[in-house]
Formats: sequence, structure tokens, C-alpha cells
Amino acid sequence: MDIAELKQKWAGQTFDTVSFEVDGSELVEFALACGETLPRYTDRSDDDFQAVPSYTSRYHGRRQLPEGFPVDMEQSFDGGKCVEWQAPIRPGDTLIGRSRIHDIFEKTGRSGGMMFIVHRMEFTNQRDELVSIVDWKMIQKLG
Amino acid sequence: MDEQNSISRYHDVEFGDELPEVRPDVSMATVRRFGKTTGMTFWRFTDHEKARASGLPGAIVPGIMSQGILVAMIHRWAPDATVHKIDTIFRAPLVVDSEPVCRGVVTDMDDENRTVEVDLTICNEEGETRVLGTAVVGF
Repeated sequence: MDIAELKQKWAGQTFDTVSFEVDGSELVEFALACGETLPRYTDRSDDDFQAVPSYTSRYHGRRQLPEGFPVDMEQSFDGGKCVEWQAPIRPGDTLIGRSRIHDIFEKTGRSGGMMFIVHRMEFTNQRDELVSIVDWKMIQKLG
Repeated sequence: MDEQNSISRYHDVEFGDELPEVRPDVSMATVRRFGKTTGMTFWRFTDHEKARASGLPGAIVPGIMSQGILVAMIHRWAPDATVHKIDTIFRAPLVVDSEPVCRGVVTDMDDENRTVEVDLTICNEEGETRVLGTAVVGF
């Protein structure tokens, strides 16, 4: 498989767009279940009440990869998630999540080659402000 | 950590500082609470028997919950700081109803932007790393 060719053909194009309504009680439950103690994340009456910085990692699009992407992801495993906070997310916000393949690269280890596919979801709010970026690494063994 | 011991300013941080350890609640009740609000109610998170039957060591804590636990640890250490970025790798299953330990250490400091980088781990009772990551924290 030519990784460079795969990247050139598939990376960068938005293949899925989904909207999410932000619910205040869900923000509180998420925060408390993670052991959060700061009122700005756990108390809806706090003047600065908002989602914890990693909150958008809970959201998924309708599909993981573009239609027709030529790799069977049944054999892939989760390589982790990176969340970049950009601005506060508040209850009542409407978020738009746009998915694209951000990067495709190869690494070689003791057990052979592995392909990394970085699925990026960018979230904007109802004012079109970027509030969060979530990168999800999917790993597949090559060969 | 009480307020007197928490960090509030960039200049209070030193390279190599260790965050106070946290022993998070990953009981079945708490994982189910997390699952209820996020829709992560699959048996691999909520049912030890079915999880074991599938080859897992037991029901497992959702990766994004582990990530949230690490963010909460940073907030306890530095309540006024902002976690700009957290990158986590779910290296191995973290079992529900276990007694893990979360740790963090400051590994880089950026004086210009007043941010610090923190290396993060969640280890199980045997000391094996289950989750690792890094965070960029701004003051």
C-alpha cells in the first residue's frame, strides 16, 4: 500500500458534518463522573459554567472514514485521542462537528509496519467560533 | 488538595514538579453514570462477565473517561489554569472496580507563553501503565 498516495488522495476533505446541542446537565454529569471538583465545570449556577476541556471527545460523526476509503478498519485499533481546547463550550450552544482525515503516516516497529490514520473533528459553535479540535488516531498493522 | 497547596501562578511551577497523586473512582456505579450521559453503555464498559467472556480482563473504563480523570487531576493541582491540550494513549485496558493511581510531572516550561507541559499516567494496582499522555496547561 502506498501511504503517500493514500494521503494525497484522501486527506483534507470534509466527509461528514454533524450538529450537537449542548445540554447543561450532561456537562455536569460528565464532569462529576470524571472526578471534577471545580464549580465552573460542576455547578450550573456558576457564572463561568462550561464544559470540561476534553468534553468534545465524547462526540462521534456518522462515519469514521470517507465512503470508499480503501482500508478495512475492522482490523484497526484505537491509538488514542488528543483534544485541543480553543474556547469555552456553554449549555445551549449548538456545535457543528466536521470530520476529515488529517494525516496518514507509517511507522515501523519490532513487529513490522503500522499505518496511522488521524481522524480530525473540528467543532465550531453557533457563532462559527472554533471551540475544539479532536484528533483520533486509528492504527492498522501493515503486511 | 486544599486551596493553600494548589498552584495559581506560572511562577509557582518548577520543572520536575509532581502533581499530587489522585486515586480516581472507577467503580461500576461511576462508569455507568459516565456511560449514561455519553451513551457509552456497551457491555464491555458495564458488564464484567460478558467482558471476560470476550477475552477482556473485565469491564473496562472508557478511554475518554480516563482522559477526563486526568484533566480533573490537573484542575485539582492548578484550579485557575486552562488545559489547552491533552493527548492520551490508551495503552492497555483499565479495569472497572480496580484501584488505579494517576500521576503527573512537569516536563517542560514555556516562559513566553506561560504554559507548562505535563506528562501523565494512569497505572493499575500492579504499577503497570494503562493510560499515558501529555497535557499543555496555560496560566
